Amino acid sequence: MSDTFFNPHQRATVEAAMARIIPTDDTPGAREAGCVDFVDRYLSGIGYIFAKPDGSGFEVLEGASAKAWMQRIEIMRKRYVAGLLDLDARAHERFSADFVALAPQQQDDILHELEQSGTGAPTTLAVNDALAGPVSPQPALQQTSTEVDLDFLPLLVTHTRQGFYADPIYGGNRNRIGWEVIGFPGPASLKDVHTGRYTTLQYFADGEADKVREFHDGL
Amino acid sequence: MAYKTKPAKTDVVIIGAGASGAAAAKVLCEAGVKVVALEKGPWRKKESFGGDELANINRYNLWPDPILNPRTWRETAADEARSEMFCPVPQMVGGGTVHWQGWLPRFTENDFRLRTVAGDLPGTSLADWPITYDELEPYYLKVEWAFGVSGQPGANKFESHRSGGYPCPPMPMSRYAQKFIKGCNALGWNAFPTPQAALSRPFNGRKATVVSAFAQQHGDPTGTRSSALNVFIPDAVATGNFELRPDCVVRELTLDSQGNIKAAIYQDADGDTIEQEADLFILACGAMETARLMLLSKSGRFPNGVANGSDMVGRNVTFHEYSAAVGTYDDPVYAWAGGGYVSASTFQHYEHDASRGFVSGGHIAVAGVGIPLPINWRMPGTPSWGAEAKKNDRDHFSHSLAIAMVLHDMPQHDNRIDLDETVVDAWGLPVARVTLKPHQNDLDQGRYLIDRGADILEASGALTIRKVYADRVTGNCSHQHGTARMGDDGATSVLNRWCRAHEVENLYAVDGSPFPTGTGANPTLTIMANAWRVADKIIAERGAAA
Repeated sequence: MSDTFFNPHQRATVEAAMARIIPTDDTPGAREAGCVDFVDRYLSGIGYIFAKPDGSGFEVLEGASAKAWMQRIEIMRKRYVAGLLDLDARAHERFSADFVALAPQQQDDILHELEQSGTGAPTTLAVNDALAGPVSPQPALQQTSTEVDLDFLPLLVTHTRQGFYADPIYGGNRNRIGWEVIGFPGPASLKDVHTGRYTTLQYFADGEADKVREFHDGL
Repeated sequence: MAYKTKPAKTDVVIIGAGASGAAAAKVLCEAGVKVVALEKGPWRKKESFGGDELANINRYNLWPDPILNPRTWRETAADEARSEMFCPVPQMVGGGTVHWQGWLPRFTENDFRLRTVAGDLPGTSLADWPITYDELEPYYLKVEWAFGVSGQPGANKFESHRSGGYPCPPMPMSRYAQKFIKGCNALGWNAFPTPQAALSRPFNGRKATVVSAFAQQHGDPTGTRSSALNVFIPDAVATGNFELRPDCVVRELTLDSQGNIKAAIYQDADGDTIEQEADLFILACGAMETARLMLLSKSGRFPNGVANGSDMVGRNVTFHEYSAAVGTYDDPVYAWAGGGYVSASTFQHYEHDASRGFVSGGHIAVAGVGIPLPINWRMPGTPSWGAEAKKNDRDHFSHSLAIAMVLHDMPQHDNRIDLDETVVDAWGLPVARVTLKPHQNDLDQGRYLIDRGADILEASGALTIRKVYADRVTGNCSHQHGTARMGDDGATSVLNRWCRAHEVENLYAVDGSPFPTGTGANPTLTIMANAWRVADKIIAERGAAA
């Protein structure tokens, strides 16, 4: 099974759009974090849905769960293929070139245009949408993320954030770039969480970690 | 289909091995009662959990997969229901306690008699509980000590009488809890360390809880947090009286000639249909699924679902709603440390106060904003992409926190769970359909509580404050109650004060479904305490019979 889904043009277009969603400024952005690798592999099938909790690889899905995931991946693939065609069509209509060939400001214009034309669905679906602040007057209601219901742009935004901030085992957040950008002292690996060595007590109020040091291996 | 021998009849069948089912199993088994628990989901071991936001929050590693377990929602009976994961709870051994952070405040005396305290509220079916705080108090203490709850007795000055302290001192003080306490102090409001299902130090042979950033909504690979999975289930297993069968989906309960429950009919992991008989049956599937199973269990005697002659099964459902005022600070608050839920609370606005113009109030507490990363969160009202979004993520990740509330939504006769005959789950069974419209009281109370959260932010020196009012009830905090309310009158309730069905002598429900009101506090401590109380009663009656 291939580990990728996009053809070279699709991949370049996704990478360019992601670079506008989390742009590179004085700190690295989606491009440096490898967000495109993250989504390209995600859409390749169901081999990379759940990392093993100790970081030793990926779970093999079976039965009903495997079927449900294949169904979801198919829906998202179609949304990407159609969405990328739409991006290029809009780019040609307005600037007579492929999206990937446009200047960053032009790419932003196209993405904003796409956002305006959307269904009014929130641009990212959050675990708690109330807290995420609805970007449309109609807040979504789901508690769990249901990204499969998102339009192309919100889906791309969601995947860019996932690729930037999720554990590096999923193929993005290369060298923990996303975590460094926001100052998250994440675990060295999933294994560190799994074994209980990873703690954040150092970030509690002054002196608190010292009081409980004897109880914690990771301190 | 492989032939399978019909399993032997047992003393008690418990359906659902989450918080309440596991609590009941522990108590019954320790008294020598033989229990078979039928759990829809898997029996996962702690080693199967990890610190992985993508898997745990976005990809249904713990949350139910909506393709396999759909639900539908509509606002009123006149509307068409649409697919929606309304109020999901992890479906596995341990249930919601597998991924919770475990805020465990007690309800107060007045929670058990709100109808008396507040009077009639038009449009609601507000009711007193048939039991009092004092009847439940010993069981609160039992659960707190079983779980090794970390807290400070007496710190919540609105708490009712307690007959003993907490087994562990409060969890370490987070910087976000510090801000909360500072704000409350400035306002002259009482604040206290949120009691938690976690160990501030070693307890009962268990190690102190690892304070990872992956906590709330993540399973615990270390087994150091307290849950039904790692406390009650091992206790029950240790007795030798407990048989836990995971991956077994109960399709219906059947009746014997006396009108009692004869058997639970379930489908096991191989797809085989099996009949399990018992003397007594306890529903512990969560308020929504318990109602659904009762409604699925139709018979000549109960054409509208078992024990539903009153048409009350599924009605008066309540859910709470989680929302918050979000603040930012100059100095870092690291509201991702400890997963963002090693918190402080206030009950200052919990008790009913008629001068506010609405009934009841709710628990206010401080929390993180992400779980923990900005994958599933961003500052309310700000762009989701582009240079500004990136700047916000960077500036606010360690400098923002939420003052959150538990909204006490009012029970209403027409807010209910029934079956959606047009949508089936992966086992071919009609799914739960939610019909729910918030009462004006819910919206008013929600605004009030969020405003008070904003007061705390302001008093604690927040730079910016954003209020996110709850304009609907969406079931977003997994709390669910009231679908089989307990009461003394069989015409207006499903269960009696011992949570036994008025119409079926050997049928009980011990999850949130018996709660006549949802209250303004996190319900799971009370759910487990009540399950323990009911189990004690069952044991006493069996003893008397023998």
